[in-house]
Amino acid sequence: MTGSPENEIYICRCEEVTREEILAAIADGATTVKGVKIRTEAGMGLCQGRTCRRLISQMLARTRPPSDIYPPTIRTPVRTAKIREYTNGEDDL
Amino acid sequence: MSMTADAAIIGGGVIGASIAYRLAKAGKKVVLCERYDFAAGATGSCDQCVFLQSKNPGIHLKLALDSSAIFQDLSKELDYTIDYFKHGGMITIENEMEMAVMSDFAEKQKKIGLDVEIISRAEAAKRQRGLAGHLLGCTYSPQDGHVNPFKLTLGFVKAAQKHGALILIDAEVFGFKLESGRIKGIKTSKGDVEAGVTVLAAGAWSPVLAKTLDLALPIKPRRGQIVITEPVAPYVTGNLLSGQYIVAKYHPEILADSKSLAVRLGVGLSLTQTSKGDILIGATREFAGYDLRNTREAIREILKNASRLVPGLEDLHVIRVMAGLRPYTPDGLPLVGFVKDREGLFIAAGHEGDGIALSAITGVIARGLICDGKAYTDVSALDPNRFDA
Ligand SMILES: Cc1cc2nc3c(=O)[nH]c(=O)nc-3n(C[C@H](O)[C@H](O)[C@H](O)COP(=O)(O)OP(=O)(O)OC[C@H]3O[C@@H](n4cnc5c(N)ncnc54)[C@H](O)[C@@H]3O)c2cc1C
Ligand code: FES
Repeated sequence: MTGSPENEIYICRCEEVTREEILAAIADGATTVKGVKIRTEAGMGLCQGRTCRRLISQMLARTRPPSDIYPPTIRTPVRTAKIREYTNGEDDL
Repeated sequence: MSMTADAAIIGGGVIGASIAYRLAKAGKKVVLCERYDFAAGATGSCDQCVFLQSKNPGIHLKLALDSSAIFQDLSKELDYTIDYFKHGGMITIENEMEMAVMSDFAEKQKKIGLDVEIISRAEAAKRQRGLAGHLLGCTYSPQDGHVNPFKLTLGFVKAAQKHGALILIDAEVFGFKLESGRIKGIKTSKGDVEAGVTVLAAGAWSPVLAKTLDLALPIKPRRGQIVITEPVAPYVTGNLLSGQYIVAKYHPEILADSKSLAVRLGVGLSLTQTSKGDILIGATREFAGYDLRNTREAIREILKNASRLVPGLEDLHVIRVMAGLRPYTPDGLPLVGFVKDREGLFIAAGHEGDGIALSAITGVIARGLICDGKAYTDVSALDPNRFDA
């Protein structure tokens, strides 16, 4: 498997984590999106997993029944805003 | 499945992992059970500081110094990159009251062996950009550092496994196995583990399990909310804390009458930047039970406080917020040791806001007490039975 072009594609583009690295994390025992995250940092990038979360879930689903997979903890905020916008008291987090 | 071990460890946070490593390395047969995954608790939702200056002069600081000494070569020892860096740290001083508290604090810390001094605002500005003009100065220590908590935990876990430890994730501990009054292991979703010593290292959740033994632990979850920015070029030099944090922690009486929302939420600045460039901005210290949610008011207060002290942060983008539960104890010291009248039960929990910094030494102390009946130094201040009436 290792070295095949398919495994070199980036699943998480923000953090540049490849399919191969995600598979290695799953082999290491990761059973959740968060488990993959702590092992590879996938999902911690600028888009906060918006692009990669679903792909990682799919890869996990192939190793475990979906009912066994904890939903990922999605951290607010839903869009990025400047610190200044929060401290000015605008209520649109 | 039924397993036997010398030691059964409950909790796969940084503390459980550190102890698993030390015991396995000492030749003990170890089984560690974590209900979700590594770093699923406070360890995965915290800052990254190995801050020495924030520790109370006394055993607290001494343990932090000894832990820091272990961190220097820990990547090599574990054969795992834990991203420990010693970049120094500063604590901001905003007013005369903080100057008095911090001067006294620093003097006492020097006697314990910490290299710390008070520097002027101008000196501080050379170390950290964007500082507020109203600061009177900062304390500075070259010994402060930081470490990646995920990598640290995984590093301990992998090294423990190399020494033969069995590490189970997705393994919830439901309760203890008892035999004529003695604790003989644990019952888990992956089977029973029979063990000579059971180590309770479940952080803020330790009291929940202790309760099944009619044991009331003085640990309470203390929520910390924290904000993370987009990755940017190196901006935060070392770690920056605010004097408010020290005052709130060690002299709560000074702030007792404050009506401010920030004081009520326990807001104190903690600023650090990860290797990837994200800036972590903390944090609150709140009692909110096991509620792990972030609140709008807290996020705003954290950011207001941070931009008051470091106005240079204002134009950064927030990408995420999170919250973790620190295991609080009434005297700010963890509980590490055997529990009286619960033979076979060892506890290592209650590190509140210092669990990352103290993780390395906690493993060493636990190994000493479990394997040799004594630690390398006098740890009676950590005796878990010290609150007994
Ligand atoms: C916002 C914030 C900032 C912080 N900043 C710092 C810092 O800069 N420096 C520092 O040193 N410390 C910091 N801390 C404190 C630090 O995070 C904690 O002290 C430390 O992580 C505690 O580790 P632990 O292993 O005891 O607990 P946890 O990491 O909470 O681990 C306990 C584990 O036990 C598991 N568990 C619970 N119940 C069961 C059960 N029944 N069966 C099986 N497993 C179970 C949990 O899932 C969890 O993984 C911070 C904390 C917060 C919240
Ligand atoms: S693609 Fe993974 S965090 Fe953005």
